[in-house]
Amino acid sequence: MKIGLINTLLVASTALVALSTPTFAQGVRENYAPVTAEMLANPPAEDWLMFRGAYNNQGYSALDMINKDTVGDLELAWAWPMAEAGIQETAPLVHDGVMFLQTNNNIVEALDAKTGDLIWQYRHVLPEIPASWSYQANQARRQKNSIALFEDKVILTTVDAKIVVLNAADGKVAWEKQVLDYNLGYSYTVGPLIADGKIISAISGCSIAGTAGGCYILAHDVNTGDELWRFNTIDDPNNPEQQESWGGVPPENRWGGTPWTTGSYDPETNTTFWGIGMPGPYAELIRGSGDGSVLYTNSTLALDVATGELKWYYQHLPRDNWDLDSPFERILVDQEIDGETHKMLISVPGKNGIAFGLDRETGEYLWSKETVVQNVVESIDEDGTVNINEDLVFNAVGEEFLVCTSVSGGKLWQAGAYSPLTETFFVPLTEACNTVAPTQTEFTAGNAVGSVKFGPRVLPEGITDAGLIQALDINPEQAESKWQYRYRPSPTSSVLATAGGLVFGGDAAREIKAWDQETGEVLWSQRLNAPVGGYPMTYALDGEQYLVIPTGYSNSASSISSAFPEIPLPTGSGNSIFVFKLPKADS
Amino acid sequence: MFRFFGVGLALLASSAAFAQTSGIPPEEMNNTRRLAGDSINVCFDMTSLGRPFDEDVAKAIGDALFLQVNVVEGFGGFPVNGDGFMDELTLAMNNTCDMFMGVSVSANSPFSEAFALTRPYATIPFVLAVTDPEWQSLAEIPKDRKLGTAMSSLGEMNYITWSQQQPEAERWVRFPYADYNKMATRVLDGTIAGMILWQPAMAQLQAERPEAAALRVIANDPLPPASVRVGALVSSRNAFLRSQVDQAIDALAADGTIDALMEKHRYQGNAGE
Repeated sequence: MKIGLINTLLVASTALVALSTPTFAQGVRENYAPVTAEMLANPPAEDWLMFRGAYNNQGYSALDMINKDTVGDLELAWAWPMAEAGIQETAPLVHDGVMFLQTNNNIVEALDAKTGDLIWQYRHVLPEIPASWSYQANQARRQKNSIALFEDKVILTTVDAKIVVLNAADGKVAWEKQVLDYNLGYSYTVGPLIADGKIISAISGCSIAGTAGGCYILAHDVNTGDELWRFNTIDDPNNPEQQESWGGVPPENRWGGTPWTTGSYDPETNTTFWGIGMPGPYAELIRGSGDGSVLYTNSTLALDVATGELKWYYQHLPRDNWDLDSPFERILVDQEIDGETHKMLISVPGKNGIAFGLDRETGEYLWSKETVVQNVVESIDEDGTVNINEDLVFNAVGEEFLVCTSVSGGKLWQAGAYSPLTETFFVPLTEACNTVAPTQTEFTAGNAVGSVKFGPRVLPEGITDAGLIQALDINPEQAESKWQYRYRPSPTSSVLATAGGLVFGGDAAREIKAWDQETGEVLWSQRLNAPVGGYPMTYALDGEQYLVIPTGYSNSASSISSAFPEIPLPTGSGNSIFVFKLPKADS
Repeated sequence: MFRFFGVGLALLASSAAFAQTSGIPPEEMNNTRRLAGDSINVCFDMTSLGRPFDEDVAKAIGDALFLQVNVVEGFGGFPVNGDGFMDELTLAMNNTCDMFMGVSVSANSPFSEAFALTRPYATIPFVLAVTDPEWQSLAEIPKDRKLGTAMSSLGEMNYITWSQQQPEAERWVRFPYADYNKMATRVLDGTIAGMILWQPAMAQLQAERPEAAALRVIANDPLPPASVRVGALVSSRNAFLRSQVDQAIDALAADGTIDALMEKHRYQGNAGE
């Protein structure tokens, strides 16, 4: 009788344990092959080792099994529901047969890249989020765009401003480091870059009151976590021009300058390139900076990875008054012309959709090219000086202008891709405008939050298609339109270019498409469960090429969904990844 | 460049999408009806200056309506540009709050049509604080001295609007401050000559910082006066609650209850509008 009772208690307690612990397996990937510095510099074609595949941020794969002839045969290999609801911005990575997937709330999963079986899951334990921490709660709901791999580690940056280093084999924490004080408002929203033995990261939350005067790109030792340098994007004491550009506003009254897209890296010159976001407050009438250009907001920064010193900067949008951020991906391109190598940095850096080409060794302006309808930049001089449309600068509180592009872009975080195969830059864009007015918009009485009122997104006059895939023919002299693909829904994912002559990208209508890089012809499409999001990528395993497509909740889809009312958005998020491959015979 | 545009198709975006705003995945929204009986959930901005006063007013409204007030810490801690505010407000109002206290009631209130503003329960001014004993009004501060303003506040807007109408030589250079404590420090150390801030912030400074005794309020002249009207937010679907709360606010303003609470918290201004 007594023994029976004990058995029953044991069963009961076992059941409780089973209920109270996650029901997934915490496995170990034995004999995981480390990611070497050499691999990061020259990624094997079958892997996808970082944010955009390689240090150059091109979003290009040398794999060509899936190509113009075979893409029509793609079949679903496996799919995976992601851990929690949140905006879908994931950038899956693959190495040695393991897929590393980060979701919102800093959850990382390792999956068998062949079968889709879970190997391990890491759930970052956040401090209990107090009600006074709403911005971080909001940011935690984004599925962070990237993590990083190095040696036998997975490196992530977290919403509570930490660097966390996991063992790639089992997902256990190797070490972690509190980088900045989240109580001031600092929060990581983008992943790091591993270069020259350093973790290069960039912080967000730089528009919160407590972070006044400091927004940083930082370097930490990849093995010890020791901070090696930090560069402040809104306060550079070594550059008087930068200080003067704030029109006398002291550093402690400056906000913004958030670098919220993972940078690129040139190993040859040990230089990292980052894009910087808008100033705060949005309108110069409020921020008190007069007609100052407010450096280094909306600029490209080239930093020496050894020292953190600024090599050069170029400002793509001075005097931003409309939250038209310019932090998006900087892409490094080399072109051989008449025996001369041209080292360029190309980008559609900002929400206004203007493409730029720079000499990446000097920062010299090479060319620019407008894409979507915009009215904030009047002209760009031959020396690269950007002249804004001063008719749209507010002279009074409450003055309202129709500004194009909208605060949602134009261009947003969805990354473009460059194909060295066709020397073409493919960019996902949205046609949209909105009214902007600096106004007395304090939400809570007396509280310093909110200084500009944005109207709903509208299509520019005469345009009925929100979506645009713009293919730009690139050379050191200019960018010319190679083709345009216009369609009703907005593009909601980044694009992927491959050596198979294809460009992949997805939209709010839940459709993933493959375009012919040369002609823009749609060669394949597949409707999925939710708007396509994140960063499509590709890898190869055992002689077969796989194509990975993230889907799920998309703020980019919902913010302009009434432009295409015939395409209803799903009521659930459905955050997932879908993995396609060719039938055996094709591959 | 394209210079001329008309509105093509008005798009019914329900919330502003600022720089990095995440949006609200549908799973985050509860689709349940609260069965509260004789109680209401009243939410507050944790970081609001008027938080203790607002709670007292909420309890007085509850007493007047024979309702139990459940005090819920709402949210707070947003970027100076309001990034994420509307998302979190929408979530809180959908999932938790019957009423959200302490919001600014004005023609430019940024809230969506999903929410309705009550009548204001208090009208509280912005003030100008300095340390120099010689100055009795803003007009006496030399133009080469600088001012601080509470960023994005009605007081700041009031100053900017006045300033834009003056010749440049007649304006003071102004720096925006998101933290009134830091702004006070800069007045006390002489970096700026004075600061325009909401009077409850001044009351709090003088209650919490001994050195703030050196600060004194002087006349705003030549600026016109600026006051914030403070009210609450309810769901637009709950017209009955809004009407009841409006009636309660009128009664509490008329019988001196709100005046007494303002005195308790050392607020200037007046009850109601």
